[in-house]
Amino acid sequence: MLSNTGPVAKLYLSIIDDVIESMRELYLDEGLEDRVLDDLRRIWEAKMMQSKAMEDFRKNNINSSNFVLQLPDSYGQIGRAHKATVVIPAGQSIHGFPNNSETLATFSLPAGLAYPVQIPAGVTLQTASGQLYKVNVPVVVTQAPMGQKPLSLQIQRAPAPQSTAAPPDTKLPQQVEPPPAPAPSVSQSPQADLPPSPESSPVQQPQVPTADATQLPVVPSPPAQENEPSAQPEPVNYSMTSSPCSQLLEEALAQTTQLKSRDIDDILKQVIEEEREKAERRRNLPPARTQDQTEAVLAGLGLDYSYSELSDIVQLDGPPDNSDAEEEGGAPLEENDFLGIINAEAIKALQEGGGSSDGNSLSSSSDSEGADKLSAEDEDPLNSGDDVIEQDIPDLFDTDNVIVCQYDKIHRSKNRWKFHLKDGVMCYAGRDYVFSKAVGEAEW
Amino acid sequence: MAYQLYRNTTLGNSLQESLDELIQTQQITPQLALQVLLQFDKAINTALASRVRNRVNFRGSLNTYRFCDNVWTFVLNDVEFREVTDLVKVDKVKIVACDGKSESTQNKNDK
Repeated sequence: MLSNTGPVAKLYLSIIDDVIESMRELYLDEGLEDRVLDDLRRIWEAKMMQSKAMEDFRKNNINSSNFVLQLPDSYGQIGRAHKATVVIPAGQSIHGFPNNSETLATFSLPAGLAYPVQIPAGVTLQTASGQLYKVNVPVVVTQAPMGQKPLSLQIQRAPAPQSTAAPPDTKLPQQVEPPPAPAPSVSQSPQADLPPSPESSPVQQPQVPTADATQLPVVPSPPAQENEPSAQPEPVNYSMTSSPCSQLLEEALAQTTQLKSRDIDDILKQVIEEEREKAERRRNLPPARTQDQTEAVLAGLGLDYSYSELSDIVQLDGPPDNSDAEEEGGAPLEENDFLGIINAEAIKALQEGGGSSDGNSLSSSSDSEGADKLSAEDEDPLNSGDDVIEQDIPDLFDTDNVIVCQYDKIHRSKNRWKFHLKDGVMCYAGRDYVFSKAVGEAEW
Repeated sequence: MAYQLYRNTTLGNSLQESLDELIQTQQITPQLALQVLLQFDKAINTALASRVRNRVNFRGSLNTYRFCDNVWTFVLNDVEFREVTDLVKVDKVKIVACDGKSESTQNKNDK
């Protein structure tokens, strides 16, 4: 890499100094306190330190300390002597950035710091890489085997831990939120959450069998419920006490893996059988009972959920051209669609009719399912694979590697270009480089 | 007036973000923030002209070029930046260059 390590950081700090000092008088004229200017400087330096541009500066100058400790206002009132005893039990002196701010005091822990270090509650830790960790409970920081990143934080979990260090913990609440809201989307969300969910799966796998065991008595539905995870999670949530939503995700995940191994035809046939059983049950029930009618309505609603969910599953699997062909109404039906309709009609004939609406939704779902299955065999006649994808111009100019400079001379001879540049700042992979002169050649 | 070109650097962007924070908390006015940025433009132009003394060579293939309002914008691919002893390879880089010979440098706000 270019050797613009320390010099770049020093240049940046000198520019910061120049700007701050030149603004001091103006700030005083405006009637602002020095504190405001110091705040600006502190925030600016903090942002620069966090960015990789100053990574080398951090490596060179703060190589000894792995932390930047930011103490809140309350610590500032105590006094620096107290801070020393609080932070470092060994009583070693703290040196770092002198900071006159009333709100935060920033210290860097020295090199000879002996691990483990007790960090009291309410402090913010910043690692050498710039990551910030807010510690709300007393922690003990030990040295990692590599010795570089001491972030094997043995966090003594309080009832409400707020450490932002662990990515799986932050991901888990995000996973928890979607399932309770719309029930039909549960079957889809596990598929989307599959990458992060395995992180939490080892923790919660023992709970899955118990969840499965509690499903059947809670939900009043036919025993074959494996392909209707949406109807089950809500009652299960109420019955389970500990982390129901994460269990729910685990159930859905287990069920979707089962789903994946099945054929769509099998799923469809199972749904039809369940529907038949429900229809028979409904018929067997005595008529004109409001409670039964309510149950029938609820069962019908549940059935609709399964249909919409099933159609969603089917539509997800199928190619876009042949999905919802019948529901759109405008596209002419192809041979594949006809076959799909025939299949649905055959099934319907076996079923002896379970209601007009049910039959229509069944035919549409089976139709799209059949169309999807059959269209997979057809090749795209439009040869879309031959298209040459041209890079969009906005994307072409959108890059992180930018050189901002001035040009002395730009020369072109046929397709050979020559660049004479000066006073430039280059940002590559987050790191910064500067040059006073740059000469380049390129062929267009 | 110096080029505002360098506001789109790590240093310039972090300064703008910091000023935005202070404006949000109403510690400074937007007018004062603008003054800070103008002062930053002067400082960085001066610093780059006087405190930096190194030379870089580079070679690559030119993907696109654009010249508008006296500003060149290039996109190069597979570029090698070579300093005295070091080598950096970049698969894609954008170069934005303002006129370095113009004595009456107008406000070139470039992104």
